[in-house]
Amino acid sequence: MSTAESATPSRTTSPATEATTPPAGGTATATAPGPGPRRTPGLVPVTETRGTAERTPREPEPGRAGGPAAPLPRRAGAFWRLLGSELGLTFRRPRNLLMLSVLAIVPIIIGIALSLVSAPDDGIGGVIASVAGNSLMLTFFAFSFLVLLLMPVTVSVVAGDALAGEAGAGTLRYLLAAPAGRTRLLLVKYLNAAIYAYAATAVVALSSLLTGLVLFPAGPLTLLSGTTISMGEGLVRIAVAVGYVGAAMAALAAVALALSAFTEVSIGAIAATMVLVVVCQVLRAIPELDVITPYLLPARFTDFDAVLRAPIDWAALWDGLLAFAAYIALFGSIAWARFSGKDITS
Amino acid sequence: MTAVTSEAGAPFGAAPPSGGEAIVTRGLTKRFRSGQVAVDTLDLSVPRGSVFGFLGPNGSGKTTTIRMLLGLVKPTAGEYSVLGLPQAEALPRVGALVEGPAFYPYLSGAANLMRFDAADPTAPRATARRRIAEALERVGLSAAAGKRYRHYSLGMRQRLAIAAALLGPRELLVLDEPTNGLDPQGTREVRALVKEIASDGTTVFVSSHLLAEVEQMCTHAAIMRTGRLVAHGTIASLSGGLAARIRVETPDAAGAARVLGALGLADVRTDEGGTVTAELGGHAPERLNAALVGEEVAVRGLAVVRPSLEDVFVRLTGEGFDVDG
Amino acid sequence: MRRGTFVRWGVPIAAAAVIGAAIGAGPVIAAVSGDPVLPERSAEQLLADAAAATGKEGGIPPMSGTVQQTASLGLPSLPALSQAGASSPLSLLSGSHEVKVWYGAADKLRVAMPTQMNETNLIINGGEAWYWDSATNTATRVSVKAPAAPTHTPAPVPQTPDLTPQQAAERLLAQADEHTTVRVINTAEVAGRPVYQLVLSPKDAGSLVQEVRIALDGETYVPLQVQVFAKGSAEPAFQIGFTQVTFTPPAAENFTFTPPAGAKVEENTLALPEEAGRHAEEHAERAKDVAGEAKVVGDGWTTVAVVPFDLNDVTAQASQEGGEGAALLDSVLASATPVSGPWGSGKLISTKLVTALLTDDGRLLVGAVTPEEITRAAGVK
Repeated sequence: MSTAESATPSRTTSPATEATTPPAGGTATATAPGPGPRRTPGLVPVTETRGTAERTPREPEPGRAGGPAAPLPRRAGAFWRLLGSELGLTFRRPRNLLMLSVLAIVPIIIGIALSLVSAPDDGIGGVIASVAGNSLMLTFFAFSFLVLLLMPVTVSVVAGDALAGEAGAGTLRYLLAAPAGRTRLLLVKYLNAAIYAYAATAVVALSSLLTGLVLFPAGPLTLLSGTTISMGEGLVRIAVAVGYVGAAMAALAAVALALSAFTEVSIGAIAATMVLVVVCQVLRAIPELDVITPYLLPARFTDFDAVLRAPIDWAALWDGLLAFAAYIALFGSIAWARFSGKDITS
Repeated sequence: MTAVTSEAGAPFGAAPPSGGEAIVTRGLTKRFRSGQVAVDTLDLSVPRGSVFGFLGPNGSGKTTTIRMLLGLVKPTAGEYSVLGLPQAEALPRVGALVEGPAFYPYLSGAANLMRFDAADPTAPRATARRRIAEALERVGLSAAAGKRYRHYSLGMRQRLAIAAALLGPRELLVLDEPTNGLDPQGTREVRALVKEIASDGTTVFVSSHLLAEVEQMCTHAAIMRTGRLVAHGTIASLSGGLAARIRVETPDAAGAARVLGALGLADVRTDEGGTVTAELGGHAPERLNAALVGEEVAVRGLAVVRPSLEDVFVRLTGEGFDVDG
Repeated sequence: MRRGTFVRWGVPIAAAAVIGAAIGAGPVIAAVSGDPVLPERSAEQLLADAAAATGKEGGIPPMSGTVQQTASLGLPSLPALSQAGASSPLSLLSGSHEVKVWYGAADKLRVAMPTQMNETNLIINGGEAWYWDSATNTATRVSVKAPAAPTHTPAPVPQTPDLTPQQAAERLLAQADEHTTVRVINTAEVAGRPVYQLVLSPKDAGSLVQEVRIALDGETYVPLQVQVFAKGSAEPAFQIGFTQVTFTPPAAENFTFTPPAGAKVEENTLALPEEAGRHAEEHAERAKDVAGEAKVVGDGWTTVAVVPFDLNDVTAQASQEGGEGAALLDSVLASATPVSGPWGSGKLISTKLVTALLTDDGRLLVGAVTPEEITRAAGVK
């Protein structure tokens, strides 16, 4: 770095230092508390030119030579390094891995349970029959079940913990003093949560696919519209569903992250997100409130079933993605407004 | 920008001439939303190259000041400048220990340092491992580098936090209560480390509520009380404001007091325990001893008492230095 | 600092404003730009054109789209409705419902009702009709001679062969004039298409209906929307119409249906007309009985139907049949307010659009009229 010899004022304070700091040296200035004009230490006149004049490019590891105010180069890829560090933290954390494995196990349990229900005649019919009839259907069935509660819980734990957890543990102050930069850190935290959301979605899809292939016959897939498509096209539709559900969970992550910026107790942000999800699910069930239903985020979660229609209901998927983008923009900017102006006192 | 636009208007914060101040604040004030004024119009200047003691009882606003300097807390009013640079430029050159260590318990010491190094956009990734090894070596944690933080002792945690502050070449080290939780051996090590770092020309800004610690380590000091600056200057100038006193232990207190008074010493006082003290002024202690003995006053003990920072604090504030705040 | 705070929070506020604007853009733009988007037409001209366009060879042009039906009749909260499920006809009384429609020609039609992780389809292609229900995994083949009239056929315009569309329109309007004011709005849009709105407003003050708006596509004259507005309400009490529509021939795959492997296939040749016939006969008999005792009070928009009605009978029957009917009846009766007057006493059930009076002397009066009007009708013996 840049503490050159020139920048090393000896401890036997130099005249220059003395001159600019009246309270130093000589006599101690006892500024008694109370009213009256205060003595201000003589501040050095601002020389704006100097800071910019010395902004010359420097070799990567400048060492100890060079002027004290020579700008430090911002490393290319520093953002990705921080994101990598964040991802490493998320995917090494035992709690997060445990949640992913629960998401992987649930489709297996569903699959086994469905394979044991050999008689689909007892009124359950429909979806279950089609799951038993085709291995790919289990993925959609698992989604329609997990997307209501378990996947939102998983995602809000990671996103709700993102800022509140660091604040509560005190690591946030060291990250910001590093300096990670508030906007940059927030962006990294959100990308991390979104990637985790997609990872959770992919885990459900992969586990369901494998379970389905083991337990049920492979082959052409019957859609909800009664049309039959090839297995290859079925896999493509699973990929589309993963893209949609992942985006849904990423939108929820934005809400959880915004709540996370308001507290230092991560369980508070997580619980608040879950309360919102559950309240929305309840509101959805009230027919009088159908007017607001399309604007509720969880109401869009189940719309991935649009890929199971013939033709694919792209309009429903597109509407859903627009809603997710709106939620991400709104709650992302709330998170930013809060976090960039927050006093970090933990 | 480091500078904060205050009610006063113009921001400041461009570089002062080299060899100037590492930290300058002007009218720095923080009023929390609760209405509590943590820091009240603070004017501080920390010369480059100094070891600056930031003294005050707990709750006197030291940590809030440090948080403002590090950009963690936004001042309500006033201005500040760290290393004369904009904040984003200054912070990579500042190593900080704020209010005790805080790390990820499920990561090893080295992995924790890697995490904070990754947060610094100016830190080169290529040299990260070497710099982390060096920092751990410096605080004597090399052997525990791979151990999870959760299993660290209090002293090890504190040293890891200091290692984090030493990850890069620093121009300014801000250490908030660096010896908290350390045993006497650890405290001595930290003091030695601070001296070593300072000898490289790095400015060290140490906050403490322990006067003795500051007296031993620092060249300059500032004293805070309930958010306000009480005194500010070199250690010598701060303690020089109080006269040295002579203390005589004697069975003949009245005689001693008479002799000292006759010699022209000011402020002669007799304590209950038979101890007589007086301002030393320009007198040589050995002469005083000879004079006392010559007047047949038995002297059991004789000492010159120089004032401590605590005495300075008590004199300036008229109250005791409440360590527990 | 405070300035910084305002600037920061300005960002989410701006984001909210943009999102709100995007959501409300349609109605707002429609409201702001009141400029005529279609050439002005009189009601007579419009009806004549519509009759000419839809009456000609080929009828309705090929189209596809999404039809949404919304009802907010102001019915008391009906828990039974939410339990009834989306496929129950009772569920149409409240909330909103959506079906997708593909129309190729008079004998090519697909109507799909998507529900969560399920779908029911009615596919008519030539003489063949399939009904597919994914919930039961059942495909039912129905053979019908002619396609059942789809629900969205244009409003019946009387067409007598010896009348030109112009004459038919004139006659229709002349008949309507007694009770109704008819006007045409040419600035509205439905599903992004400019439409003519035929607005029918009752002249009688006793009617609960503010107006009925029928939207005809400006180009094809296909009815795209029907709205019924209740008095004193800016939102339609009942609405059915396209939320999205395209006038291009739908893909042929929409009209071909092959029962998927593993599905139950039921043949229902001719069963539908027979069944329907039998039911119709029964209903007709009952209706005759009822009609014998039923009468009508008033005319035009304020017509009130008076039917002999024994509450106990109905309750008994409903509870026998069980299910949602009984539940609905219970909740409706629970919300009724007792009233009395010179005509006697009874229970009044009022909604935004319909008022019903159940008198203690065993009559049921129903009409789209105000409670005052219906009690007046109750006095007419």
